[in-house]
Amino acid sequence: MSAAAPNRLEARGLVADYGAAPVLRGLDAAIPAGAIAAVLGENGSGKSTLLKVFARVVAIGGGDVRLDGERLDALPRRQTAQRIAYVPQSVDLVFPIRTLDLVLQGRAPYARGFVAETADDRRRALEAMRACDVEALAQRDAASLSGGERRRVFLARALAQEAQVWLLDEPTSGLDPRHRLEFLETLWRIHGERGTTVVLVTHEVALAGDLATRVLLLKDGRTIAQGDRASVLTAENLERTFGAPFSGRGSRFALRSAVLPMGSLEP
Amino acid sequence: MRTGAIAVGVLLLVAACTVAFLVGGVHLSIADLVAGRGEEGQTARLLASLRAPRIGLAALVGGCLALAGAALQALLKNPLADPFLLGTSGGAAVGAAGAALLGLSPLLSPAAAFVGAAAASLGVALLARRGGRLDLQRLLLAGLIANAFFSALLLAAFSIASGEAARSMLFWMMGSLADATPRKVAALFPYALAGAAVLVAAAARLNLFSVGEENAAALGVDTERTKRIVFLASSLLTGVAVAFAGVIGFVGLLVPHAVRAAFGNDQRTLLPASFLVGATLVVAADAVARAAIAPVELPIGALTAALGAPVFAWLLLRTP
Repeated sequence: MSAAAPNRLEARGLVADYGAAPVLRGLDAAIPAGAIAAVLGENGSGKSTLLKVFARVVAIGGGDVRLDGERLDALPRRQTAQRIAYVPQSVDLVFPIRTLDLVLQGRAPYARGFVAETADDRRRALEAMRACDVEALAQRDAASLSGGERRRVFLARALAQEAQVWLLDEPTSGLDPRHRLEFLETLWRIHGERGTTVVLVTHEVALAGDLATRVLLLKDGRTIAQGDRASVLTAENLERTFGAPFSGRGSRFALRSAVLPMGSLEP
Repeated sequence: MRTGAIAVGVLLLVAACTVAFLVGGVHLSIADLVAGRGEEGQTARLLASLRAPRIGLAALVGGCLALAGAALQALLKNPLADPFLLGTSGGAAVGAAGAALLGLSPLLSPAAAFVGAAAASLGVALLARRGGRLDLQRLLLAGLIANAFFSALLLAAFSIASGEAARSMLFWMMGSLADATPRKVAALFPYALAGAAVLVAAAARLNLFSVGEENAAALGVDTERTKRIVFLASSLLTGVAVAFAGVIGFVGLLVPHAVRAAFGNDQRTLLPASFLVGATLVVAADAVARAAIAPVELPIGALTAALGAPVFAWLLLRTP
């Protein structure tokens, strides 16, 4: 065993594709345990695909992905689902499902075969819903929930899943300022209480500056910079990532306010 | 599983079987059957020996089709999935008809229908793939294409077949339970049981699929394996149902919807309850087919389609 603890999640030379075209082309990523890592990049840079590879939704096409030092694709799927929770950007619900049942799905990696959820599963699900302020919605049809409610319900599900790693795909997109704030407060509080490792994909550079302890910048399926936010969120790096001015000279709408130093929350 | 839903399903099935046993071109009197002497008693026993296997076959066929439809709807996260609309029944009919045309033993008919059904499912799924996933619109279009193709094959086979073979082509096109025998019921039973057991065992995973395939994958399901198992088991159920009763459409579409509306979408309840309600529907439809304009029998496939098409239209309008 090595002296230093292995990174919670690590990718080396990761290749993955979605159908035909390769999306990830030799990507490297290291996410230490307990970090909040923000993944930034243009549309199509491979951010969401990276999350889906970590969630085992998209297969590894090449390279190496490790969870706590173990090869992810060598681990049983149920076991990784007990350790990694994936919160999708949106889910369109075709069939009716009670919100409590949706949260109870987080217990699926612990269930055996046909058996119904145990009383213990229900207790954990309701506890998770209370922690995310969605307990009152338990009996509602999940399709009737607002965007903000649905995000927190999925967060509750990740909590009920008791995973050490949460993967959040654009968790704040489409939320109005109040719901955005409520969601972030909830996430921040639970992260503080449990030390969950969070990997979140976002288009909000400012959010990465506020929330993340670690930032990864992706371009064309590769990582062009990663590290602590102060060293990564520089105007130069961001301009390279997005091809847009962050320094204030290129455009009157330059995105300089997104660049550190800022940060209202100290992790 | 909600035992209430299962109890309701059992009660419905028992009621439908009882009514179907008594009605038809000739009314059957229980008194004659039990205590009848002479000609009346003989007639009653003859009727019973004809109707009992027919009811048994109707129940098994209806159960198989409804269960296959329910499982496919959850797997594909698509309320419009149904073995008939996706071309699976058509493939099964072509398989069974092809075997008959080649002069193969009727014992091979279920196997041939299963191969046809599996090939049709696979072909439709491949046609409907776009960017590595099944596309809802393409799935329905692919099913339409497959159905047109299989109808053409059956019509061509019908036109070149003669005598008995032609009659059996017609049987597969229209669906019929008239040839039921105790042996056929006994032959169908193990297939129905095996297919049903596999699908019901997958119910918990299908719950995750009914929110989405990615959802199931992220919660630890080997999605490729589950897809293969569910496709094969529902092809088996569809194949054997078609081999023994021809194409009876829309049962797999209608029944899961009714059960879902009544008892919710938990597959652990929905799948077994769909089997029971599907059995009930086909037993009842067959009774109507026999009794409505007796002594002429309506083709049962026509009856279920007449019932199913308006419901399908309504679902299509409601689906975003």
